[in-house]
Amino acid sequence: MRLTHTQESMAAAIEDQWLAAAMETGPADRAAAEEGVREAYRLASAEPPERIYWFGSPRAAAAAAALLSGPVDPIPEAPGTTSPPPAVAPSGAAAPQAGAGPGSSAVPPAGAELGLGAASLAGAGPGLGADSEAVRPPVGAGPGQEIPEWFAEAQAELRRQGWTPGARAGRSMRGLVRTAPWAAARKAALVALGADGWAQLSAAAGRRSWPLVMDMVAGRLRSRLSEDLAAELPAAGPAVLDAVYGQHDGAWLSTFEAAARVCPEADLMTNLAGLARVARHSGWWWAFERVAVLSERPVTLARDNVGRLHRGEGPAMEFTDGYGLWAWRGMPIPSDLAAELPSLTVDRVRRETNAEIRRVMLEHFGYERYLSEAGATQINSDETGTLWLLHLPGDEPLVMVEVINSTPEPDGTSRVYWLRVPPQTRSAREGVAWTFGLTEQEYQPLIQT
Amino acid sequence: MFRQGDVLIIPVPQADVPACAPVPRDRRGRMVLARGEATGHAHVVGGPGLVLLADLDDPERMFLEVPAHGRVTHEEHGPIPLPAGHYRVVRQREYIPGAFRPVAD
Repeated sequence: MRLTHTQESMAAAIEDQWLAAAMETGPADRAAAEEGVREAYRLASAEPPERIYWFGSPRAAAAAAALLSGPVDPIPEAPGTTSPPPAVAPSGAAAPQAGAGPGSSAVPPAGAELGLGAASLAGAGPGLGADSEAVRPPVGAGPGQEIPEWFAEAQAELRRQGWTPGARAGRSMRGLVRTAPWAAARKAALVALGADGWAQLSAAAGRRSWPLVMDMVAGRLRSRLSEDLAAELPAAGPAVLDAVYGQHDGAWLSTFEAAARVCPEADLMTNLAGLARVARHSGWWWAFERVAVLSERPVTLARDNVGRLHRGEGPAMEFTDGYGLWAWRGMPIPSDLAAELPSLTVDRVRRETNAEIRRVMLEHFGYERYLSEAGATQINSDETGTLWLLHLPGDEPLVMVEVINSTPEPDGTSRVYWLRVPPQTRSAREGVAWTFGLTEQEYQPLIQT
Repeated sequence: MFRQGDVLIIPVPQADVPACAPVPRDRRGRMVLARGEATGHAHVVGGPGLVLLADLDDPERMFLEVPAHGRVTHEEHGPIPLPAGHYRVVRQREYIPGAFRPVAD
C-alpha cells in the first residue's frame, strides 16, 4: 500500500510523542509502569512477576539484576549483628510496591540501617553507627577488586524492598516479553502493509527516532554502563545485555503504533501493549521469571541542537542516585576532566597531551576565546568571513573560519559563529565551501539568509 | 545555489539525482530539510508539485524536485525563493581532526 500525506503526518505525530517519551525526565509513574510489566508477561503467556523492584538508575538496576539472577554474589552480612528480616514485609503473596512513590516512601529507618550495616560490616571494619565509607572485601567484583559503594547501596536497597539474599529471580524473560512480540509484530506489519508500505511507514514514524534515541542516547548509555560495570563490577557486565530499554523502546514502538493506526484490523499493537505502557512511564528494566527490576528515568537529559548528549557544567544524563554520564557534543567525557572544565586556562589546554581531551577542553573553553588569548593569526579575510590559524604544539594546527549570520537577530545585531575547518585551508571562502562539501570555486551562493 | 543558515541548496542536473524515495512529511504536513532538536526550528520547503526526496542508498542525502517554483523558510532566517529545477540539499558540517560532524548551530 501507499501512504497518503495525511497518514504520513499522523505517523510523524506519533513519532513525536514517542520521541518525547524517550527523552522524558523525572519520576516514573510506578503504578502504570508496573501494570505495563504485568501486562507484558500476561501477553507472553507467562505468570506476572511476584515482585517488582525499583532503582534510581540503570546502573543500580543492572547490579540488582545481576544479584538477583546469580552472576554477582551478595556482600556477606555479618550474622547476629543486625536484625535479618527484610524491611518491607513481603507477607507471603506477591505484594509489589505498586504505587509506591519515587524513592520508595515505605522505607523504615531499620532498612536504612540494615543497608549501612551491610556495607560497613562487610569490611569487617567499624561496626554499626560508623561511617559507611568502609573497607570492602573482594566479593562479586574481579579478584582483588574493591566492591564499589554504589553496589553496596544497591544491595541494601534490594533488602529494603524485601529481598532475602539467596532468593533467585529465575531466567531472563527478555526474549519472551520483548524480542518475540517485536518480531511477531514486524512479521504481521509486513503482511498487512506490504514491503513498500512498511518501508514508507518506518521512514515516516521511525526515521528520526532511531538515530536520536538509540544511537545518540540509549547507545551512549549502554556503552558507558558496560564500561563502568566492566571496571567496577565485572560479574554484572552481562546484565546490560538483558536490559529492556523502557522509554528508549519508543524508538521502534512508534512505527508499530503508527502502523496499527493505518491498519487497525492487523492488531499490531495488542501484543506490544505491555511494553508500550512501561515505555511511556519508566526507564530501563529487567524481566525475570519471578521478579522484575525497574529503573527511574534520568532527572537531567541535556542535548545539543542535533540531538547529541551535550553539557559542560554537569552530567548530560543524570539519575536520581547520582549515576551520570558526562558528554560534550556526544563525546563522552571522563568525570575527572569534567570537574576541571569550569576552571580551564590557555596553559592547561596547551599542556594537555591527549588530542581528544584537548578538543573537548577547547570547545568548552571556547574556540574564539582560545584563539584570542593564545594569540592566533588572521590568515585571510573575504566576503565569506575571516580565517584564523593557531599552532598547537604536537598537534595539527587549529584553523577556524569566523562567519557572520546573514540574517540579523531581532535586536539588529548579527550572530558570529566559528567553524573548525581542515588545517590545510588557506582562505575563508575555501573554509566555508568545505563546510558544505564544495571547493572554493564551486561555492557561489546566489542568495544567503 | 542558495544558502539558508546551515543548509545549502545546490542545483544539479536531473541525471545526477539518484534512485530516491519521497521523504515523509512531519506531523504538521511540512517537508523538512533540517531540524534543530533543541530549538524545534526547521528549514521547511514548499511549492506546487515540489517533492523532497532521499537517496535510497543513503537517506541522509536529500534532493529537491521543483517543477514550478518553491520557497524555503526558517524561523530565524529570511525566506528563499527557488526556481524550477533539481537540487541537492547539503547540511553544513565542521571539521574535527580526522573526521567531520554536522554543525549544531
